[in-house]
Amino acid sequence: MAKWGMVIDLEKCTGCQACSTACQMENNRLPGENYQDVLYYTEGKQPTPSLKWFPRPCMHCENPSCMHVCPTKATFKTEDGVVLIDWNKCIGCKYCMIACPYGVRFYTDEKPLIEPNIKEVFKAEGGMQWSPPYKGPQQDNSHGVGIQPHGVVSKCTFCYHKISKAPPETADLSNDDPALREFVPACVRTCAPTARYFGDLDNPDSQVNRLISDKHGARLLEHTGNKPQVYYLSGGVVPGFTRPDKS
Amino acid sequence: MNIEFLKKAITRRRFLQATGATGVAVGAVVGTGGVSLSALVPLSESHAQETGADGETKVNKSICGQCPARCGIDIYTTNGRVHAIYGSNDHPIANGKGCPKMHLGTYILYDPDRFKGPMKRTNPKKGRDEDPQFVPISWDEAYQTVADRLNALRDKGESHKFGLFFGRGWGASDVGVNIVPFGQLYGSPNAPIGHSSMCSDGSILAKQCTDGNASYSSYDYHHANYLLMFGANFLEAFRPYNNNLQVWGYIRGEKTPKTHVTYVDVHMNATASAADRALLVKPGTDGALALAIAHVILTEGLWDRPFVGDFMNGENQFKTGVVLDEVSFSEKWVKGLIQWWNTELKDRTPQWAETVCTIPADLIVKTAREFGSTRPAIALFERGAHNHSNGVLNGMAIHSLNALVGSLFAEGGLAYQMGPAYGPAPANPDDYMDDYAKNGPHKNMPRIDLKGHEDGYLMAKNMFQEVGKNHNAGNPYKLDTAMFYMTNPAFSSPDARAWEEALKTMFVIDTSPFPGETAMMADLILPDTTYLERYQDAPTYPFQGFPMAQIRTPAIKPLYDVRTFGDSLIEIGKRIKGPTSEYFTKLESVENILRHLARGFEESPGDNGVKDYESWKAKGVWFKKPYHWRQVRGEFFEWDGKGWNKPMDAAAVKEKLLKTDSGKFEFLSSYMEHKKDWILAKTGRSPEKYNIPHWEEPQYTGGGDLHFISPKTAMHAEGRSANLPHAIALHQPAVGGNKQALAEVHPSVAKAKGIKNGDRIKIRSALGEIIAIAKVTELTRPDTIVLPFEHGHWAHGRWAKGRGTHVNTVIAQQSDRISGMANYYTGKVSVEKA
Repeated sequence: MAKWGMVIDLEKCTGCQACSTACQMENNRLPGENYQDVLYYTEGKQPTPSLKWFPRPCMHCENPSCMHVCPTKATFKTEDGVVLIDWNKCIGCKYCMIACPYGVRFYTDEKPLIEPNIKEVFKAEGGMQWSPPYKGPQQDNSHGVGIQPHGVVSKCTFCYHKISKAPPETADLSNDDPALREFVPACVRTCAPTARYFGDLDNPDSQVNRLISDKHGARLLEHTGNKPQVYYLSGGVVPGFTRPDKS
Repeated sequence: MNIEFLKKAITRRRFLQATGATGVAVGAVVGTGGVSLSALVPLSESHAQETGADGETKVNKSICGQCPARCGIDIYTTNGRVHAIYGSNDHPIANGKGCPKMHLGTYILYDPDRFKGPMKRTNPKKGRDEDPQFVPISWDEAYQTVADRLNALRDKGESHKFGLFFGRGWGASDVGVNIVPFGQLYGSPNAPIGHSSMCSDGSILAKQCTDGNASYSSYDYHHANYLLMFGANFLEAFRPYNNNLQVWGYIRGEKTPKTHVTYVDVHMNATASAADRALLVKPGTDGALALAIAHVILTEGLWDRPFVGDFMNGENQFKTGVVLDEVSFSEKWVKGLIQWWNTELKDRTPQWAETVCTIPADLIVKTAREFGSTRPAIALFERGAHNHSNGVLNGMAIHSLNALVGSLFAEGGLAYQMGPAYGPAPANPDDYMDDYAKNGPHKNMPRIDLKGHEDGYLMAKNMFQEVGKNHNAGNPYKLDTAMFYMTNPAFSSPDARAWEEALKTMFVIDTSPFPGETAMMADLILPDTTYLERYQDAPTYPFQGFPMAQIRTPAIKPLYDVRTFGDSLIEIGKRIKGPTSEYFTKLESVENILRHLARGFEESPGDNGVKDYESWKAKGVWFKKPYHWRQVRGEFFEWDGKGWNKPMDAAAVKEKLLKTDSGKFEFLSSYMEHKKDWILAKTGRSPEKYNIPHWEEPQYTGGGDLHFISPKTAMHAEGRSANLPHAIALHQPAVGGNKQALAEVHPSVAKAKGIKNGDRIKIRSALGEIIAIAKVTELTRPDTIVLPFEHGHWAHGRWAKGRGTHVNTVIAQQSDRISGMANYYTGKVSVEKA
């Protein structure tokens, strides 16, 4: 089985947010509630201010805090290394949201970021939060895929509805291979500077492992021991965050 | 656990956001909803059928509509729902990738505020607070109303009082074969008037004046080793944007050697940050910087001798302040170098430039040395550099840098764009002109925008933005009827209020699918389809030079009773009296036009095999590489089918490439020389300098003390993002502008005015006053306020209306006298806490 992971090259990333808009399109997210966000930082003063950014999906940790605290075992890790939420079991206690060191989990039953509330414009019947005309056909509540129901937490699924259909033994999922393009996670597929890569971390020949090795892939918040499966390339230093004891 | 703990805990999910925005922080607010019991009930999958999990997914080819780049897209539709858009893999601009705007298309299609069908106004009063009281009418009545008005004007000999204004036109089927012949056959000099003077005509004229090509450039970035960019936000706005991002990933992440980039702008933005050097220049002074760079290139002997030429004795005689003898230099493909040096450049040192543009002299020297010694190198610019009264001069100075380093038409340089091998249209409008069209009174009427007029803009391509002002003043006359396609000047024009007033006293036909400001002032609504619902052609925006034409096919039938503009104009055309109606009868429909265009591909099949209409629709794009011309070490060659092997003589170069009087790149512009008397009279420039790239102080407008800049962010889809909450939430991520665009204010200004982050502020110019929300940040210069152009609508849908700040309320109507380019970025405002 693959151990899916992602590599994000911060030297190539242009901070355009296409990953965020592709994600919100593919996963029918509410405005401002994208699984994938680009975070920006400013430092310094004119005429030499610093502007930095980095894209932040769910880390799909090897050792996920969210899973450990979930009282109903709604959050689980698949055999192919993806951390998912079973919406049928989630009670929306939000313990996982507190436990996650990366802030990548979402509860959207609250006041909307943008008024008027789009949920009122595209109302849904029953347990779903909304039903927009542009929603995709994929809906798999046991894997946290599709429109988010009421009262549950949601998060990036590495586009599980796509990657789970990839042929076995696939080393890397990239738009470059037309045969694989429908299996590629939305953010990876659309990234125009090709700053995002997705592949099997258990396959030493995969491109993701080649990049991590050649370009010194680093993980966020290494000290937590969560061991993210998302690696950043930037010469070993991830911008915008320094360990608390070093700041 | 109590609510307070939860609140603190929830904000931890945003802990990584260190932007420090307080009053404008991102984040869902904890509501009182709590946990609902329904969440405990296992959810059934019965709704899966509703979403069409069993349905087949169709994928059709189209072209994104969010900017002029014309990326080929694949649209995914399942069970009648359009749910996803990705870049087409085999499209040379998209290459399977997308910019952030590409994925907004489904929201545009399903915008709940779209017009549902044709309507007429029943409230005779027009104004921001007036409800038009539109009532539905039939298409027949709609077309006939327009035709009756137009015919009546023609009968009276007043057809010039009809104006047809268009913004984002796409190709032959809406503009070239449709709108343009409509104006020609109907008989109005104001049909059409294009938006290019609000777009980027400054660069087009700068190029026309120097190398004879009235066009944007095509670029060979992949082979360039140095890029020097002025006021063109490569990673947020410059087109073709999606492809720029791809280029960036390649030239900065894969290419060996890595391409070096110096970026000049007025603001720390994504490109400034990602470049190797950011030069944050004083607005309007890019020309001074470019002239100083040229000075260093010459004094240090870095110019490209094969292209430019050399001193007869092989010694570099360019020394600061020293006048030279013209005959001492033998010019190859440039004209006027020594005159330019003697008259202007010899004194334009980096030290001088520093006093004008605020860039330290040592950085100017470094940049010039890098640019001058790295081949191939490209100097590019757009609106940031030329939306000022000295805009064309700035542009000429910058473009001259390309001549100095020999990058024109070279590999790794810049060139122009070939048009597609379209077949002939269904009819030739010249065959359908009656006497009126040929000789009617309209022929002696000036255009309402005074383009081409001595008192107006003799050399401009268009002068769209001043139509409102001219109409209001009756100068040269008032319009009777106006039709608008893909343009909303009541919002997007400088001094937009003047346009708003003007619309009150003309019969307005708007074709937008959306209830924009111009639509609210309309008498008739003929709603267009959105781009996902129609057929349409679009030849490429200048890209890499090789010809390309992409096509839209509809993902679904129109959601409402709306009709593609091209088809509506044909229907109106058929109802115009005289042979005009025969022309449009022959056109028949947009699809028929496309079928005719595609016949050209039979003779000239595309590289991907597209050779007819059916294959064009299936693949989405026709293209044929490469660009046909190349300059190699000072010699020009034409493509012979196998390589750039056919040498071109001077006559061929003049005819096809350097289209000036001299057949060379002109530092001494002959194009301007032909209009010398007019230019001297209207600009006050000196006879010695008027037609060379020279420094002129910009005339700032507004009367304030802070430069007012209104850039486009990466989410700005030519204004079509305004009613999309998904786009609003991501609009200005660098400073947390996620509910509306924020005004970026330097801390020194904030301190002086007692402004804190999140405060309401008044931004005032001589024209008016607007209220914005302040973001205190070091990203902006102390002498500048930055407020992205997007929001501030008073119409355009439930999310657009009443959100944010309308920049054009305070941007004055001033335009470059040569190009007609609206000076959007030259205003100066004052700021106070509100």
